[in-house]
Amino acid sequence: MSESIKEQLESTFKAVVITDSEEARIGVNVKKDQVLAVLSFLKDRRFDHLALVSCVDWIEEKEFELVYVLTCYMQANEEHTDQESLHLIVKTRISRQSPQFKTITDIFPNAEPYEREIHELFGVKFVGHKRLTPLFLERDYDIPPFRKDFDTRKYVKDLFDNIPSIEIEKK
Amino acid sequence: MDRNQITKWLKAPAKMANKYSLHAIYFCTGCGIIEVPPVITSRWDAERFGVIPVATPRQANLFLITGYVSVKTLRAIIRTYEQMYEPKYTVGFGSCPINGGMYWDSYNTIKHLDKYIPIDGWIAGCMPRPEAIFIAVTHLWTLIDKGMANGYVRYKKNYEFYRRNQEMALGKLDWPSLYPIQSDDEAVENE
Repeated sequence: MSESIKEQLESTFKAVVITDSEEARIGVNVKKDQVLAVLSFLKDRRFDHLALVSCVDWIEEKEFELVYVLTCYMQANEEHTDQESLHLIVKTRISRQSPQFKTITDIFPNAEPYEREIHELFGVKFVGHKRLTPLFLERDYDIPPFRKDFDTRKYVKDLFDNIPSIEIEKK
Repeated sequence: MDRNQITKWLKAPAKMANKYSLHAIYFCTGCGIIEVPPVITSRWDAERFGVIPVATPRQANLFLITGYVSVKTLRAIIRTYEQMYEPKYTVGFGSCPINGGMYWDSYNTIKHLDKYIPIDGWIAGCMPRPEAIFIAVTHLWTLIDKGMANGYVRYKKNYEFYRRNQEMALGKLDWPSLYPIQSDDEAVENE
């Protein structure tokens, strides 16, 4: 591969900002309407392994940041390239008021449980996702519990500390 | 066999047999379960104490709760505990079941396990060493001898309270109650 993936990205997409943090790790900041295009572009260029989808709550900027980590599998018949040890971290910002984003399960089917998890813990709705059902949590929460404005201590005080111990009840 | 114990054997053979053959249900919760494989295998060999792991709650009479209990796990713990035959003994292992431990302010972890099922003994520590399990077992023998390991009796007696606490934490339970509960209407009628 003559042209590096960084140059390819910059020449193809105009609004992409590359933050080069380390040698084996490239951060790619993308506008939210370009995420699907960038991800499928990268998938065609052998970044076919979606390792992680994550979410960050920037409460002061009133935004959620979605993070997609892409790597590529080793290919036995080709020569070893530097690309195989490269991590691409695609980031995008969405509004915190009505958190909603397009699903990427059409490109990477293994994103399904990650998106369910983010839907459950951050309350981000993924349009087009076929199964946005509860994954981990057993109870209903007013605010999704991984948001920064969810007060865990108050929640614990209201729920678990209010359950009386058996010795007190017997009296 | 210890000669001093012959009178005990003659007096209550079933109790002594129970005491020296504690069958622990192999129920894995939290990080403490990592201490159990060395305990039951050759290094510490729990069978010296009559403790062996069994596969189903129907064969077990010792319930080791080995670590933090999430809300989802509590559901499984209650169902497992209610399936075990009496006499049954419960031991909370590690500091998390006692009062939440390092998860004291977690949104999804049960803080005081003895509010939901009765506990006969605690092992403190994070993590306790495997030897602590044997100390707990020998201590449990003493409690059984004195009739103080009576968690299942307390559960039956205060089932109403336990069931109400369980419902406060889990919402509506989707299995029938183990013991009959006197509802409020019946209580009024009886008066």
